[in-house]
Amino acid sequence: MIDLISSAWAYFMNRQDLMFIVLREHVMLVLWSTFFTVIIGVPLGIAISRTEKLRDLVLGSVSILYTIPILALFGFLIPIIGIGSTPALIALVIYGLLPVIRNSCVGITQVHPLLKESAKGMGANNMQLLFKVEIPLAFPVIFAGIRTALVMNFSLATYAVFIGAGGMGRIIMQGIRTFNTGMMLAGILMVVITTVLLERLVGYVDNRVQKRYSLSD
Amino acid sequence: MTREVSVELQNVIKKYGQDKVVDQVSFSVEKGEVFVLIGPSGCGKTTTLKMINQLIPHTSGNILVNGTDVTKLDVVELRRSIGYVIQYIGLLPHLTIQENIAFVLKLTRHPKKNQKERAEELIEIVGLELNHLKRYPRELSGGQQQRVGVARALAANPDILLMDEPFGAVDPLTREQLQNELLRLQESIQKTIVFVTHDMQEAFKIGSRIGILREGKLVCLGSPMEIVKSEDEFVKNFIGQGALFEVFDTIPVSKILEKNVPLVHDNEKVDLTAEKLNDWENVFVVDSDGNCQGYIPLSSLEKDGSFQKDKINPLPKATFSDTSVKLAVEEMLWGGRTWLPVVDGHSSFKGIVQFRSCARLLDLEGR
Repeated sequence: MIDLISSAWAYFMNRQDLMFIVLREHVMLVLWSTFFTVIIGVPLGIAISRTEKLRDLVLGSVSILYTIPILALFGFLIPIIGIGSTPALIALVIYGLLPVIRNSCVGITQVHPLLKESAKGMGANNMQLLFKVEIPLAFPVIFAGIRTALVMNFSLATYAVFIGAGGMGRIIMQGIRTFNTGMMLAGILMVVITTVLLERLVGYVDNRVQKRYSLSD
Repeated sequence: MTREVSVELQNVIKKYGQDKVVDQVSFSVEKGEVFVLIGPSGCGKTTTLKMINQLIPHTSGNILVNGTDVTKLDVVELRRSIGYVIQYIGLLPHLTIQENIAFVLKLTRHPKKNQKERAEELIEIVGLELNHLKRYPRELSGGQQQRVGVARALAANPDILLMDEPFGAVDPLTREQLQNELLRLQESIQKTIVFVTHDMQEAFKIGSRIGILREGKLVCLGSPMEIVKSEDEFVKNFIGQGALFEVFDTIPVSKILEKNVPLVHDNEKVDLTAEKLNDWENVFVVDSDGNCQGYIPLSSLEKDGSFQKDKINPLPKATFSDTSVKLAVEEMLWGGRTWLPVVDGHSSFKGIVQFRSCARLLDLEGR
């Protein structure tokens, strides 16, 4: 066991350059996919909060997409788009959409009707109502959805190697193929540690957000 | 002289499907008065109120605000020109008190500096301190939040305020305090207020006129005294027993104060031939400064109208001229008296209030 860890450590120290490259690929992939998830998911979630029919349709189809295993999704995307970071990005966006859309929709519908009414009664127009009342009040819930999507995509991005988009999965895959346990373990540890760190970080930010916006104490 | 009408409803109907929740309601609210809409839950009082600022559009009839049909106005502009107060949960929890008060000014893009100044001005008017401005609504008590709600409605200096059970969610003590403050505030700001409540006591206390709604219909409309005297069975049941006392609670004794009491200087004789004496049992003795020393029953006077100083009875505990008639009556009952002396804020003798004039209050029309 100690041998394994020291070999992983040795690999890590020897190939710091490669480690940095895969980490960068990984982070960029996750950041971009989360960016697109938010750009698409939040407005869509807000839109479907207004009409119940559309809500069932959109949430239903996004849930179905969400249940497709990622390898099957890659298999589906390769013939259409090919390989590389674009299909990986698309796959990650598809997975991230469900929590973001659902939370945006729930967050907006949860805003107390009395608050909306009092804002309207004071003369807020529809845009002001949305941007000055509904979105700020729904923000903790929306943010929780983004948090889920971000952390989930960070661990899912390990699969991106199967479609040629790189990321930390590269080290693990290569380690497995070449029976290089040090390399494999170095990759695994890196994924685990960075995911935990990220989870902690967004968790901390999330707590701050919840405190700042929470209605009770 | 006709008084200016601020809000007028003419045969207003609101239908949800086939249900008429507001049915042929007509009333007009004069400038500067507090008009209370009251009724059991589901009577349409809140709906009626919300139709005035078109939060709920009416089905038919006319609603005029300052003489203009509301359907001809831009609905956002209309709402910005009318103050709107609801229960304290209506404060926006993500904004500070200052931002909450200045919300309407923010919506209308007033400069930040104006917003701040107006908030500072208003927070003091409603009896809070400047350091509350930086806090969030959840950090304030219910009563304080409700005050902020009133300040917020006043921010754009509207002529008309709509208040929807504004004090419904605070404890009875705070509620009474807020009612008193509203009345005090109203004396200086003189807004036209349409006030919805389900609390009859509150209605009697703050309303200059009261409209009682039942199943969407306006069944009774008038001053508190007129409401109390209503013969309508529903109204009688609704306002309940003891309502008269609630009304008496809102009338100050100055309304029935008798200033013209027989007086005598402490070194003079009572003029027994004065016609004025006929209605009285007592003569009040004043010194050269006009302070009342006490009273003498007519029966204790000598034949020529003179009297001995030791016959002067000290005055019973006086009541203030702004005390309510209800309290004065209570005071009389406790003391076993039929009258009380009345003093003003500087404890100088103003006259007396008599039990029989309380009894006659009912005959007085209105307040």
